[in-house]
Amino acid sequence: MSLPETLREEVRNPEAAAAVEALSTYRWGFTSDVEQEFAPKGLSEETVRFISAKKGEPEWMLEWRLRAFRLWQQMEPPQWAKLSIPPIDYQDAYYYAAPKTKPALKSLDELDPEIRRTYEKLGIPLEEQKVLAGVEGARRVAVDAVFDSVSVATTFREELKKVGVIFLSISEAIREHPELVRRHLGSVVPVRDNYFACLNSAVFSDGTFVLVPKGVRCPMELSTYFRINAENTGQFERTLIVAEEGSYVSYLEGCTAPMRDENQLHAAVVELIAETDAEIKYSTVQNWYPGDREGKGGIYNFVTKRALCRGARSKVSWTQVETGSAITWKYPSCVLMGEESVGEFYSVAVTNNFQQADTGTKMIHLGARTRSRIISKGISAGRSNNSYRGLVRIGPSATGARNFTQCDSLLLGDRCGAHTIPYIEVRNPSAQVEHEATTSKISEDQKFYAMSRGLPEEEAVALIVNGFCREVLQTLPMEFAVEAQKLLGISLEGSVG
Amino acid sequence: MRPELPTRRDEAWRWADLRHAEAFLETPAPANDALPETDHLWLDLAGPRQLFVAGQPVGAAAQAPTPDRTLPRHPLADLAAARATAGATLEIPAGADAGLVQLLHVGRGGAAHGITRVILGAGARLTLVESFADEGQDHWLNHRLDAELGPGAELVRVSRTLSGHGLVSDRAAVRMREASRFVHLTLGLGAASLRAEVEVLLEGAGAHAEVDGILLADGAAVLDALTRLDHRVPDTSSRQRWRLVAGGTAQASIAGGVAVARHAQKTDAEQSLKALLLRRTAAVNLKPELEIFADDVACAHGCTVGELDRAALFYLGTRGVPPAEAEALLTLAFVADALAGLPEGALQDALDAEARAWLARHAGGRA
Repeated sequence: MSLPETLREEVRNPEAAAAVEALSTYRWGFTSDVEQEFAPKGLSEETVRFISAKKGEPEWMLEWRLRAFRLWQQMEPPQWAKLSIPPIDYQDAYYYAAPKTKPALKSLDELDPEIRRTYEKLGIPLEEQKVLAGVEGARRVAVDAVFDSVSVATTFREELKKVGVIFLSISEAIREHPELVRRHLGSVVPVRDNYFACLNSAVFSDGTFVLVPKGVRCPMELSTYFRINAENTGQFERTLIVAEEGSYVSYLEGCTAPMRDENQLHAAVVELIAETDAEIKYSTVQNWYPGDREGKGGIYNFVTKRALCRGARSKVSWTQVETGSAITWKYPSCVLMGEESVGEFYSVAVTNNFQQADTGTKMIHLGARTRSRIISKGISAGRSNNSYRGLVRIGPSATGARNFTQCDSLLLGDRCGAHTIPYIEVRNPSAQVEHEATTSKISEDQKFYAMSRGLPEEEAVALIVNGFCREVLQTLPMEFAVEAQKLLGISLEGSVG
Repeated sequence: MRPELPTRRDEAWRWADLRHAEAFLETPAPANDALPETDHLWLDLAGPRQLFVAGQPVGAAAQAPTPDRTLPRHPLADLAAARATAGATLEIPAGADAGLVQLLHVGRGGAAHGITRVILGAGARLTLVESFADEGQDHWLNHRLDAELGPGAELVRVSRTLSGHGLVSDRAAVRMREASRFVHLTLGLGAASLRAEVEVLLEGAGAHAEVDGILLADGAAVLDALTRLDHRVPDTSSRQRWRLVAGGTAQASIAGGVAVARHAQKTDAEQSLKALLLRRTAAVNLKPELEIFADDVACAHGCTVGELDRAALFYLGTRGVPPAEAEALLTLAFVADALAGLPEGALQDALDAEARAWLARHAGGRA
């Protein structure tokens, strides 16, 4: 951790410089050593077969993967995003890494101490640790911890089982509920949907399966922490959530990743299905390694997230706080098929240094009187580029559909970029679509006021940024909201002054 | 070698209909001395007029202007530069007011390419109306306007498409020096296909551009517009107002773009894109795009698609206005917003009357 020689000579106060530098490097950049078992490097039918065999999958699952792999070989990576993506050598990566098989765990105490230490460093278990330690009155959060690619521990399974909620890693679900997985997998994001989703379909390593049965309100918030750990390991998570008639589930997804020089590829797929009167709330805080201040390293986050509001009056709400990753390509979307179904998208995307984000949503209105709401807040600092890209489509049958979109961009400094690329396609005369967008910088008056009350500049900026994101942050579950606010501050460190 | 045309897979051409460009790419319009009937195609306004039939001037010597090679590359505009054999050059010396000039381009059973070159000296003024029409058969008119506005110069240009067949592609590319002013109105009235582009390079402090449009689409028309207001230096401003109405099985689209370069501080750019659909079989597409690299700017856009205000319709009903008339009245008010950038007077009145007549014909029987 040292300044370049040329810069060092210019700095008059080396201690202050060192402190600034310590702040602006990734706080959670560390790695832990756990024995890994790798698939052979590279991507071929053999790799796909290896992954499938390793997970003891049935024949249909292997066929599904192989079909995806063959389709993927014929596809081209998308070029339309406002992103500069260095060429990715798909053969120079491992597609499977799992901690070595250990006896089944009865409690978290039996967990590999190395993994536990990692969790502690991440500050993950806050509430969860209390619950796990048997602290009375702690808020209940079910954790399906995905360490690298395979679920290591799943807790609260019993309590969920009582109400009939299925909450399993997707590999377990394939074994235990093959008919359910087979029916729903790929029904929202088809295998050939796009380049990265197709790749995921071929090599997905693990992920989560949730089914909330008819009329059940899931008694706790479900949460999965993802963590990329092995060097040169792509992560291909697959999440499938089905909310049956009249059910409700809130799902939290949060991530941090260790610091690495090598670029790491992440291509996840998330599919949500909401039946009649069902509601799914999906919240993400994403804080993967964004690369260093020179733009070296960092995660490539190419995610396909889509919800199908199949039943009447169903509702899906996406909330995301994106602060990490070197490159983000992500458009959580809703297909509003059921009459009066509702789609929501609340997003905060922060980019600093050399980060690039091209993120937004698609709201596809098919059913009558469907409604959608999009609130997007983009914050650019350093030399980063931050784009909102969205589509609102009202089909001919979506009589009386409504959409409201608000996209605001905030620029911190004059070397970054903020872009807004909304598409509005309307095929029904009774639809009402409204879209507003603004781009601005931090108000000097607000900053001056906060500083006159004794806040240092960086804290003043963090405060104002938090205010700018208020509408989105308030849709997050409590513990996520706190984490998200901290993350915004950390992400913008070194961007002012 | 056959040039490559853009396809709908290219983001900037997602809503365009270039079938006639493909069909007539290597088919020039046939030579024919017969003159079309054009009296009804001109705006009834004083000023010099020049008619072009299939790209050739009538009653004047053919001479192709030199295109401005420093403008951004563009697949159709480059083709126009390479293939046009005639066009108009309007060079107005400093301080002169050239009044209103009308150019009428009539297409004829094949492809025709054209260039209009406008050079305005410091403080010069010009109003240019370019109209595009046809003789009742499919064709492709591919046109480009290259304009340079000197310091304090003022150009008003109307691109008016009346064509009922084939495709008109018109691209205006304008360079603006300090304190110059540019007003552009795209008026698309035809039942055919239109690709209208306006790219403005604001390169001098104090330059101000108003880029407005009215697309009235009916039948099976595909009217597609794209703008890019490129703010390259500090202290420039722009306004965009687009009003779209689509009936029949028509499609009307506008991709309005604002780009602010790094260091182009104090840019003030606004876009307002609004659309009305008359039938379920019609379609409208809007894309208000912002690309911003400077922090001290005021850039905003607003878009709406929807029905006419029910409260306003009800109010007019209570005053005894029949429903069809009330709808026509409100639709007219909706459309007229986009004429506000033009200087008040005969030109604005004439275009208002045309929009009014179209609405009377098409918006009376709403679905």
